[in-house]
Amino acid sequence: MSFIEVKNVSKTFKVSRRRAGAIGAAANFFVPKFEKKEAVKNISFNIEKGEAVGFIGPNGAGKSTTVKMLSGILHPNSGEIKVGGYIPYKQRKAYVGKIGVVFGQKSQLQWDLPVIDSFELLKAIYSVPDDVYRKNLERFTEMLDMSGFIGQPVRQLSLGQRMRADIVAALLHSPEIVFFDEPTIGVDVVGKETIRAFIRELNRQDGVTMIFTTHDMRDIEKTCRRLIIINEGEKIYDGALSALREMYGTTRRLEVAFSEKVDLPGFENVTVENLENNKKRFTFENNKVQINELMNRILGEYNVRDINISEPDIETIIQKIYTKKEAEI
Amino acid sequence: MKDVLHLMSMYTKTTAKAWFQYRVDAVLKSLAVFLREATGIIVIWFTLMKFDNINGWNIYEMVFLFSLLFLTYGIMIIFFTGLRDFGNTVRSGSFDRFILRPRGLLFQIIFVNSDWFAALGHGGLGITLFLISAWKVGINWSLTNALYYIFTIAGGVLIQGAVFLTLATLNIFMLQTNSLKELLYWNMRKFAGYPISIFNKAIQIFMIYVMPFAFVNYFPAQFLLRKSDMSYSEIYMYLTPIVGTVMYLAAYLFWRFGIRFYKSSGN
Repeated sequence: MSFIEVKNVSKTFKVSRRRAGAIGAAANFFVPKFEKKEAVKNISFNIEKGEAVGFIGPNGAGKSTTVKMLSGILHPNSGEIKVGGYIPYKQRKAYVGKIGVVFGQKSQLQWDLPVIDSFELLKAIYSVPDDVYRKNLERFTEMLDMSGFIGQPVRQLSLGQRMRADIVAALLHSPEIVFFDEPTIGVDVVGKETIRAFIRELNRQDGVTMIFTTHDMRDIEKTCRRLIIINEGEKIYDGALSALREMYGTTRRLEVAFSEKVDLPGFENVTVENLENNKKRFTFENNKVQINELMNRILGEYNVRDINISEPDIETIIQKIYTKKEAEI
Repeated sequence: MKDVLHLMSMYTKTTAKAWFQYRVDAVLKSLAVFLREATGIIVIWFTLMKFDNINGWNIYEMVFLFSLLFLTYGIMIIFFTGLRDFGNTVRSGSFDRFILRPRGLLFQIIFVNSDWFAALGHGGLGITLFLISAWKVGINWSLTNALYYIFTIAGGVLIQGAVFLTLATLNIFMLQTNSLKELLYWNMRKFAGYPISIFNKAIQIFMIYVMPFAFVNYFPAQFLLRKSDMSYSEIYMYLTPIVGTVMYLAAYLFWRFGIRFYKSSGN
């Protein structure tokens, strides 16, 4: 039995359809029209204790809905969810004490008060024992370098500082599972790096299970080994990040700068583009073309100044997956 | 239990601290509420100087009637600010956060926030009006009457709390109930400042059985003042605590039922 089990879960929302114009608005008032929107369609997956899993997908793909069902905010319409033996939406009070949730877009801190006051309140809400609280607070404050602003009102903090404080707020009660919903949104590069390093540390050292949604692929690359991609309510990929690269990232680019102007014969399965300064770009699939044969031919027959191979970055791969999905429909 | 009391004190401390962040503003805001509400009373005061009485109620008796209304609202809003603002809480998605905390939902809504401006403004006015009138309307403040008064205030608080809780629950289904609150609560409250005997029968029935403000101030005042315009059975004078309790329980059950339909407002 896995730690988190999601079996054939679907969630449908009833959304009212607005008609345009004044007459339409009046019509809406008397005869509201509802449409069913399937936010999540028959999704299943298992997550083991201590895993860190990245959840990605375009806006409106169903990520947030899935996270909300996992954290007990929403009931699924059908299917089963079990986390650590609990059914989140049925055993709310017992369950939510064991999880932590960070919403990057919504702070849970008291806006007008110093950060530490929010922490003290959370200690009371979760009934955290004094020693655990002190230990967690000290450790997290140091790891996230927060001692400089912990006494400042939240409204005076920068976005990056606020986000770090929000992350600590979600962890004071030592949760077994933490949901990060876009925890780096709007944070600068240095801040993002601090947050990622902290999350990685928490997962490796404390074995906290993590689910991480984001639009920044670098977040995932730096923190998660496993990736689940959701698009239009369906799970379209579930596996290791490295495997994704192997599956979809087969395109290679070879850029060669020749010492003189050359006329090349055609190569099978390779597209050749002419760039300036006697440079040429060869694009091919590495499962169709042997890269060493191609390079041998080029290096053996011509004078080459410089050579450079590149593979697509993860963003490009993801983009390819999203658009491929849309093309099928 | 100790744990819950500790949390309640922490919530109160947090609210108070936030309040003291803006001391001058806090005092001015409370004063503004006080004066806004007092204006209405002053108008009636001057009207009565011309007419002497309204249906047999002189100025001090009217002020006493008003004091019950403001006092109960002032106390009620300490506890029910969260329900008053529940529409916003749902729309902004903050309610999701309550769900994520291992505490009762209604408990959190009630204790997370208190509008002390409104409480001080309304409650302060209620106390002022009470002090002006209590010893001029011929009430003998015996132990029985004092106890009756306390239970009546509690009942009045529960009646209005039940209305706020019901409207908050409707928010779960319709997402917006401000106009309904305006129509049902605030408009009817304007009537409640006067003895209901001056209104036509339909309004009286409405004020007793639909939006029962009559139990918040008119019937209790009748018990203490015994005016001659009372055309209802004497039993009504004793019902306030019962009406309050029953209404609140019904509202609570409706809340429990409604909460199962909660739909997060999305991101």
